[in-house]
Amino acid sequence: MSPQIQLKISTSLAQDATIRLQLGDAIRAIYEVISFPEGGEPDWERMKKVFLPNARLTRITPEGVDCFDLETFQAMALEMLDRGIYTSFFEHELIRRVNMFGAFAHVLSAYETKTCPDASYFLARGVNSIQLLRERDSWRVLSLLWDEEAENVPFNLEHIFAGEITRG
Amino acid sequence: MVSRCIVRAEAKGTLMRTAQSYEGRRIKFDNRTLYNFGSCSYLGLERHPELRAAAVAAMDEYGTQFSISRAYLECGLYQELESNLEKMTGRPVLVAPSTTLAHIAALPVLIQDNDAVLLDHFAHASLHSATELLGDAPVHLVRHSRMDQVDQLVGELSCQYDRIWLIIDGIYSMFGDVAPFNELASLLDSYPRLHIYIDDAHATSWLGTHGRGGALMHFGHHDRVVVALSLNKAFSAAGGALALPNTELKMQIRRCGGPMLFSGPIQPPMLGAAVASSRLHLGVDHVDRQHELLRRIDYTLVAADKACLPLATRCQTPIFFIPCDSVDQVTDTVRGFFNRGFYVCPSIFPAVPLNRPGIRFTITLHNELEDIDAFIATARFMVKERLGKTVGSLGLIPDDSGPRAADSGNY
Repeated sequence: MSPQIQLKISTSLAQDATIRLQLGDAIRAIYEVISFPEGGEPDWERMKKVFLPNARLTRITPEGVDCFDLETFQAMALEMLDRGIYTSFFEHELIRRVNMFGAFAHVLSAYETKTCPDASYFLARGVNSIQLLRERDSWRVLSLLWDEEAENVPFNLEHIFAGEITRG
Repeated sequence: MVSRCIVRAEAKGTLMRTAQSYEGRRIKFDNRTLYNFGSCSYLGLERHPELRAAAVAAMDEYGTQFSISRAYLECGLYQELESNLEKMTGRPVLVAPSTTLAHIAALPVLIQDNDAVLLDHFAHASLHSATELLGDAPVHLVRHSRMDQVDQLVGELSCQYDRIWLIIDGIYSMFGDVAPFNELASLLDSYPRLHIYIDDAHATSWLGTHGRGGALMHFGHHDRVVVALSLNKAFSAAGGALALPNTELKMQIRRCGGPMLFSGPIQPPMLGAAVASSRLHLGVDHVDRQHELLRRIDYTLVAADKACLPLATRCQTPIFFIPCDSVDQVTDTVRGFFNRGFYVCPSIFPAVPLNRPGIRFTITLHNELEDIDAFIATARFMVKERLGKTVGSLGLIPDDSGPRAADSGNY
């Protein structure tokens, strides 16, 4: 292999690694901005940087599906805080699977919520389906869709992340 | 969401239970007798011979019910009850069929169209329900006991509204914390348009002169403070009461407050018990009961400290709260207490925020010191085990392990 081709490959590998690292940063940022300690709130300003202005947030519950943009999500979250439904929130990632093509990525990210970061047991758990768009040197979230474990929604990570490929 | 949390706790047998018998110190269900650490009868008066005799005497005189609206004609026992409660509180008092109905009667009368409301988000659910009945007055929810937020909002709203009503609890029923009375007094001094409505149901009887509660201890003299009391809980009868700054307001609520006109009255046996309880509150022995409860509260706090129990608050109230990580952990731990011979209450959403599930236990004069010792030893074991290897769906602590009530069998 010629030195030029070797250089191209290693540059491409390095770029790919950088892009994946940046994607990891974006996923971490999602969990960081929505988490907050007792008496606090999500980091709304940072949320505007992590999410695209036209991002959608979609929550699936046994009662139905709720669709939000950033503004309505903030209003919903603030109402929950005002009503004392939550007084703090800690969510962290357990495992993820990434698919990328061109300037977009789809991430399946399993999470746990806890009463505090060092709680011994989770409060709830579920899976985030995240679509991200690459902009220059960073990723921003276009869509965040999540559902939570329930009696009829088993949380089996092997099964959730196994996936299947069907040829068209 | 509410239904899901309750269904989970119900499925574990920790909610919606039915008692087979009750004698204060112990409670029986599922054919098991458990030591009772779940009652709000803090002074243990519900089996007092004078209350029981008065209930029977009232029933003999008036029958099981007095089925005429109080607006038309009231049972004669109301007169003595209100008169005694006025001596207890040092204020004009209006008795209502329950504390919830007292709120529903009072708030729409007190709060006018050009008033605004600030409601602590942890205030009792009955206060949230009552404020939903208000007409045009805007209701702002404020974070729990955040006086900085209250200060700011009262300052802003004072320019637009005639009066700003802050609605809070005197003692919060789940975490047992006390309203910040000193800061509230400063705010009352700073803002002449600020009025405060306090639900002091959990402080009635066991706290303050003649059991008037903590709110009236601080604001008994204040004409911009209204206090609601409970004649259930430590008072051990039935109904609620409003301690009002003047007689005019009392009569206004009696004449215009919906439930005062249309709801059924407290029935004679319980009115009789309430009158007898009010006499006990005015008696010289009442302070001894209060001191004894405080002694047991202090005893529990010291024992909990020694056992390193992670209590949510450490206020000198009879309500204690052990935080847990999840609803499953709450229900499994409560089952563990049942299995070891102790009755405690699971506290889950909506009684507490989704992120603050836990176990509430209470101390009453029914709990002997040896009961408290045994309970704390069991709580210590449960907490240690829970933190050590995690209960919940990962597996229960074996029921035959750890300390338990002396005479408890397997649940």
